[in-house]
Amino acid sequence: MDLTKIKQLLVNDDTCFWPELATLTRQAAQFDELLFLSSLRKKAVARGLKEAGADEKHLRLAIVGGCSLYPLHELLIHLLETEGVVCELFLGDYDNYVAEMMDAEGALAKFQPDVICVLPVGQRCRYLGALTDLREAVHAAGDAVAVQLLDLCRNFHERTGAEVILGNFILPARHDLGTFRSRTPASDWNFRKWVNFELGLNAPSFVRICDLEFLAHRHGALAAEDARGWFESKQLCASALLVEVCRELARLILALRQPPKKVLVLDLDNTLWGGTVADDGLEGIELGDTSPRGEAFKAFQKYILSLKDRGVLLAVCSKNDLVRAQEAFERHPEMVLRTADFAAFKANWEPKSDNIRQIATELNLGLDSLVFVDDNPAEIEIVRQFAPAVTTILLGPDPAEYVGQLQDCRMFEPHTITTEDIQRSGQYRAEQERHNLLASAADMDTYLVSLVMEATITEFVLADVPRLSQLINKSNQFNLTTHRRTEAEVQSLINQPDHVCFSVRLKDRFGDHGLISIVIGRVHDKELEIDTWLMSCRVLKRQVEETVLNELIRLARVRGCTRLTGVYIATPKNEMVRDFYPRLGFRPKKVTSIRGEFTQELAEFQPKSTKIKTIHHAYEPN
Amino acid sequence: MNQTEILLKLQTIFNDIFLEPPTLSPELTAKEVPEWDSLLHISLLLAVEKAFDIRFRVGEVEGTKSVGEFADLIARRITEK
Repeated sequence: MDLTKIKQLLVNDDTCFWPELATLTRQAAQFDELLFLSSLRKKAVARGLKEAGADEKHLRLAIVGGCSLYPLHELLIHLLETEGVVCELFLGDYDNYVAEMMDAEGALAKFQPDVICVLPVGQRCRYLGALTDLREAVHAAGDAVAVQLLDLCRNFHERTGAEVILGNFILPARHDLGTFRSRTPASDWNFRKWVNFELGLNAPSFVRICDLEFLAHRHGALAAEDARGWFESKQLCASALLVEVCRELARLILALRQPPKKVLVLDLDNTLWGGTVADDGLEGIELGDTSPRGEAFKAFQKYILSLKDRGVLLAVCSKNDLVRAQEAFERHPEMVLRTADFAAFKANWEPKSDNIRQIATELNLGLDSLVFVDDNPAEIEIVRQFAPAVTTILLGPDPAEYVGQLQDCRMFEPHTITTEDIQRSGQYRAEQERHNLLASAADMDTYLVSLVMEATITEFVLADVPRLSQLINKSNQFNLTTHRRTEAEVQSLINQPDHVCFSVRLKDRFGDHGLISIVIGRVHDKELEIDTWLMSCRVLKRQVEETVLNELIRLARVRGCTRLTGVYIATPKNEMVRDFYPRLGFRPKKVTSIRGEFTQELAEFQPKSTKIKTIHHAYEPN
Repeated sequence: MNQTEILLKLQTIFNDIFLEPPTLSPELTAKEVPEWDSLLHISLLLAVEKAFDIRFRVGEVEGTKSVGEFADLIARRITEK
C-alpha cells in the first residue's frame, strides 16, 4: 500500500485527505497499515483538518473484555469513524468485564453506551473437571458458561438499553490430546464448540454474536494464534485476525442502523449459464451436470434460488433477445431458476443502467436496495457511472468461484429473520397479480373493494419489536420524519403512558402484506404530536394512510387531546410525502423547504371513508 | 549487518511511518520523540519484523532502552534466526 500520497495530503492540509483515507481504509488488509491510517486520522483531527460536509453520526461505544482492548479499540474506532460514525468511547480494564457490567452504579453504567462489545477470551472457557467425566456433567458446565454470559448481557441490556455485541470463543489450534480430542466433551476443542453453539442458539435479539470461532477458522487457526502477543500485552489473537475481528465488529455496529440489500439483479449469458443463448441456441449453452462448467453454473443458480427463498428479490438485466432469453428459462431442462422466480425481467439492448433504474421503479425500491451482478467489466462500469447508488459485483474469470463470491459479498445477510421476510417474495408476486387486476378493474374504488382488505391495528408489543425496528430503520420513501430507533429504543416505547404507538397489518384476498405501517405519537398539552409515521411503499394507494389517520384521531380523543400535529422532515428519499399532511386536510403551520409543521383540529375532522375493514384497533382488548 | 547498516535501514522505516521522522542515532529514545507513542510503536515493531524478516521473542523489545540497543537486538535476531 502506497502511503506517500495520503501523507502529502495531510501535510498540505488538503481536505481530499478524508475520501482518500476512507478508500485506503477499505482496502487495507494489514494490521500495521490500518494502525498507521488510524494515526494519520488522529493527526488530521489534531491539525484541525475538517472533513468537507461530513454527515456525522454519534455513537456511545463501550468495549470490555477478557483481553487487552488496546490497540483493538484504535482499529475499531478508526473503521467506524471513516464510515462517518463518530464515537465516544468507554474502554474497559483488562479482564474486568464481569464486574464492570454488573456494577449498576459504576462508570460503565454511568457512561450509558448505545452499543457494548463484550469480548471474553478462550483461556477462560475451559472444563475444569476430568477428561473422563460423564457427558451430562460436561455439557451442564458448558451450558452454565453460556447462560452466565448471556445473563450478564441481558441484565446489562435491561438496565442500560444498550445493544450488545458478544464475541464467542476461538478454538484451540494445537494437536493436544490427539485422537482423544474429539472423543471427550471435556477437551478445550469440544467444550468451546459446545459453549459457542449454546451462545448462538440462545442469544436474545438484542445480543449479536461476533463469531470469533468462525473468523479464526476462516483465517486459519494457527495463523490466528499469537502466544507472544498474549504474554506481552494480553492480545485477543494474532494481529492479522484482529483486523478481521475489528472489521466484523464495525460491520455489526453499522448494521444496527442499516438494512440489508433487497434485490439481486442478474446478467444472463456467462453469468447464469456459459455461452450466449442468442448465438449458441438453447442446446448450445453450458448448464447442468453434463460438464464441469455446466455444473458450476447450475450450482450458482441453486445458490441464487436459496437467496430468493430467504426473501431476496431476483431480477434479470441482460443485453439479450427477450424471446430467446425467456425461452431458455422455460425450456432448458437443467435450468434451476424459472421466469416466475424473477420479480422483474429486462432483456433488451438498452443500457443496463437505464434498465436497472426501471427495475427499481417497478419494484418501488430505491436504487441503493439493488445489487447488480455481471461477468462483463464494461457493463459493471456503466452501472457504476450512471447508477452509482447500485452496488455492483464483477464476477471473476472462473464460474466455479461464483457461488463463493456471492456468499462472501455480505449484501444479503439477514439481521434478524422475521416472518415478514419469509413471506415477502410471495408478496411481490401477489403484487403483480394485483396489478393485473387493476388493469382489468373499471375504476379505483371497484378495484379496492375487490381486494377485500382487512387491517389489524395493534399497539407496540414485545413480539413485534424486531419487525418494528427493522421497518423503522429501513423505510425511506414513505417516512415523514425518518427518525431511526434501535430495538431497545422501540421496546422502551411499549406501554409508555404519554405515547401512542401502533402498527398496521394488512391482508387482502391475494395474500398477507404483514406489518406495513408504523406510527409513534407523543401526547402533551392536549396535543398528539406525530413523531413517526411511515409505511411500506408496497401498499401505497390502498387507503392505509386514511385508515391510520382515522385511528390516530380515535386514539387522540381517547387520550383527551384536541389537536393532532404532524411534522415533515425532508431527506433525499422522502419527497413523495412532502405534501402528505396537507393532502389529508391538515393545515400548514410553519413550512420551509426542509421541514413542515401541520395541524389538524379534532373538532374539524371528518372521518375518512376507506375500503379497508379494520378488524382490530390499538389498545383495545381482542 | 552492523549497527550502522541497521540504523540506515531503520531510518527508512521511520521515514515511512512518522509524519516528522526523527534522525536516528544510537542514543535516541522514544521519550525524546513526541510522535513516538505506544500506538506508533506497535506499527513500528510490525514494520521492523517485516522489513528485516525476523521475529522478536517474548519480552525482549521492552528491554531495549535506546535506538542503539534496539538495533543491536535486531542484529542478534538476524544472526540467530
